[in-house]
Amino acid sequence: MRPKFLSAVAAFGLLLAAVPVWAHHSFAAEYDGKQLITLKGAITKVEWTNPHIYIYVDVKDANGSATNWALEGYPPNTLKRTGFTRDLLKVGEEITITAYKSKDGTYSGAGREVTFPDGSKKFAGPIGQ
Amino acid sequence: MKSYFNTFIVALTAALCLLASRQATAQQYPENAPTVATKAGPLKPFARTADGKPDMTGTWQAGGVSINGEPGAPPLHPLPPAPIRPPARQRIPYQDWAAEKQKTFTVLDDPTSNCLLPGVPRIVGMPMPLEIVQTPKEVVVLYESFRAWRRIPINEKLQHPNDLTPTWMGDSVGRWDGDTFVVDVTGFNDKTWLSGTGSIHTEQLHVVERYKMISDDTLSYEATVEDPGALTKPWVTGSVLRRPIDVRVEEYECIENNPDNEHIRKAMELEKAKNAKK
Repeated sequence: MRPKFLSAVAAFGLLLAAVPVWAHHSFAAEYDGKQLITLKGAITKVEWTNPHIYIYVDVKDANGSATNWALEGYPPNTLKRTGFTRDLLKVGEEITITAYKSKDGTYSGAGREVTFPDGSKKFAGPIGQ
Repeated sequence: MKSYFNTFIVALTAALCLLASRQATAQQYPENAPTVATKAGPLKPFARTADGKPDMTGTWQAGGVSINGEPGAPPLHPLPPAPIRPPARQRIPYQDWAAEKQKTFTVLDDPTSNCLLPGVPRIVGMPMPLEIVQTPKEVVVLYESFRAWRRIPINEKLQHPNDLTPTWMGDSVGRWDGDTFVVDVTGFNDKTWLSGTGSIHTEQLHVVERYKMISDDTLSYEATVEDPGALTKPWVTGSVLRRPIDVRVEEYECIENNPDNEHIRKAMELEKAKNAKK
């Protein structure tokens, strides 16, 4: 039983390895796949662009001063095909977004899951690698 | 006379269709491919064109979240399990000089990170759809990724034009070998990567691709990669192409907004500085 299970796991791993999650650049070189942070704030700008979208969010600290975070997501076509359309992101609306922190020390990250004002959730980008 | 002819055509078409569906059930798996069969349910036979060839026309995709779903979550448009698996992953059999040179590259040097064309066979495995337009004289492939396209004229002798200048996607010619569409690709520049970081090749790169319909929604893809300038023997790779549901090829203008390399460069500098302190 065990070898069968292991070979199934290995086969699944190979399948994953064979297909890049992002088509055009390395995830691990840019983001820390082990550091998932949660950000909450109002959307200030949306770049619905290729090869990846960017969502900008003002995150306020305890004193009320805001830091603008840039969060990268899947390509626009990929998002649309999963039901995440451009009109779901409205400037001024407050969202919660989980993200893998950038390794370059800036206030940026790879967006993972967005919680919209109505409580619904959608994935904005891939799971950490 | 005319009605006799019409009856004959109808009968012939019916006979061909019957033959086609029989062949489709008999040939569930590619004959030559080292592709692994899986235990899928009964397969829906693939259609044939008016000239009797397996009809590959339509949208296909090798992977990606829009067809596979997120890890651990069901896909939005579930497909039946694939009846085959891609060929096992092989290490690229590099000559010593090429293996040494490979180590000198980083992800920043990846042509696709700079929105440059991925070349063949790399483009086929991208997690974005491609569309095949098949005619008796030419097969055209429109790729969403990197807005690439290939025209593959059908040419029994697989003869390339004699005025080729090396290019990113090379020059393709194809022929039908029974039910398998065989494509010969040559005339590449040496700027694309075959697969992972630094997977270089020379202008002597020669790729032979085999496309074989397995069922209505499954197309087996296999590429044999030769390069006497950089490899010690041919390297075999491939993927299983599926028909994604509710997906069409759309625009992907990669250069539009691409700050990733800047971020990666900065991240690498920080890492280097951190390591130097240790």
